[in-house]
Amino acid sequence: MASDFRSRVLPRIALRMCVALASMASIPAVRAAHFELPPLAQPPTSEHHVGKVIWADLVTPDLDGAKRFYGGLFGWQFRDVESAGKDYSVAFLEERPVAGLVQRTVRNGEQRQPAWLTFIAVKDADAAERIAIAHGAKALSPARTYPHRGRQAVLADPQGAVFAVLASASGDPPDYLAAPGDWIWSSLQTADAGTDAAFYQTVFNYEVFDASSDDGREHVVLSSDDFARASINTLSGDHRHPHWLNFVRVADMNQAIAKVTSLGGRILVEPHIDNQGGNLALVADPAGAVFGLLEWSDTQSTQASK
Amino acid sequence: MTAPMRWLGLAFGFALLASLQACVGGGVAYEGGGYGVDYYEPSGYVYGGWGPGYNVGPFRRGDHRPESRPAPGPASRPRPYHPAAAGRSMPSIPSRRR
Repeated sequence: MASDFRSRVLPRIALRMCVALASMASIPAVRAAHFELPPLAQPPTSEHHVGKVIWADLVTPDLDGAKRFYGGLFGWQFRDVESAGKDYSVAFLEERPVAGLVQRTVRNGEQRQPAWLTFIAVKDADAAERIAIAHGAKALSPARTYPHRGRQAVLADPQGAVFAVLASASGDPPDYLAAPGDWIWSSLQTADAGTDAAFYQTVFNYEVFDASSDDGREHVVLSSDDFARASINTLSGDHRHPHWLNFVRVADMNQAIAKVTSLGGRILVEPHIDNQGGNLALVADPAGAVFGLLEWSDTQSTQASK
Repeated sequence: MTAPMRWLGLAFGFALLASLQACVGGGVAYEGGGYGVDYYEPSGYVYGGWGPGYNVGPFRRGDHRPESRPAPGPASRPRPYHPAAAGRSMPSIPSRRR
């Protein structure tokens, strides 16, 4: 009886357990395979524009609400990427990926608000992370590879502004004038613009231009490949925290502002002509994430295309 | 132990190791399948208060300055960054249409 159990029953039990374990082993692989982000550059390019802002991710507690707002405002279309417990949707403008939207619940008592995260192009995310940390930054999410997207890391600069570096696996998007509905500009508001300029210059090898004006605060413009990439500005008041702001190009500021309010957003800084010439405004989406609008005509860029 | 039992034991051990590796490996790659971007800004901050001279946007045609001007603040304060070479015009954003 016992020998019958060993020779016939036990092997069957063991075989079934092996099959069950092998099935369990495949589950995480399937989940990972589903979390595939689209390549940044479609079609892929061989271009690299270190220091260029090439992507933005929104972290929001209301993914569906964000889709309604940004889809209605800019005409973005969305494709969902789902992973275990966290939803991610990619926004497309004219079939080009322009932004990512991440669903994340705000826990009770958490004094936090949704935000856009700015991604800056690098050739080597690990090297950029190392240099940044060596010059006072903190790694919030160490460098990781995402299939098709590339390798990225999330950092806080020495003054606390959060940004990300991304070595795109498909090359960087070419330097075109942003279309209406696309990101056109970025600016960092910080406590000490000059010190932060030195930090970003070290990490991204920017050319730095002083753009200070009559407001008594320090402003600089960061440039790479002979194109302006972003500005750094001393914060305009107390009780603020350093943060990056990204601006979307709009064709008509008045229409855009009317849409923001009709879609449930708020106007934080009324439209006005920036001293540099652009008509810009600062708004928040219905969940509170802040971004900018910039009305920019085709003839306002000063540099000839490359 | 018979030969078939030994083979089954080896297979069982392999399957066990594979399942453990998959759990750990999946966690390293995606932190449980999620996405490494989940940072909210601190709340309670006020935006606005930008005066007419508060410049954050890019320069447009004809507004670029031929050279950098001194930063505000104490005259003796050295710039923490390396300014663009004298004579370099401040560039604007790309103008080439798609």
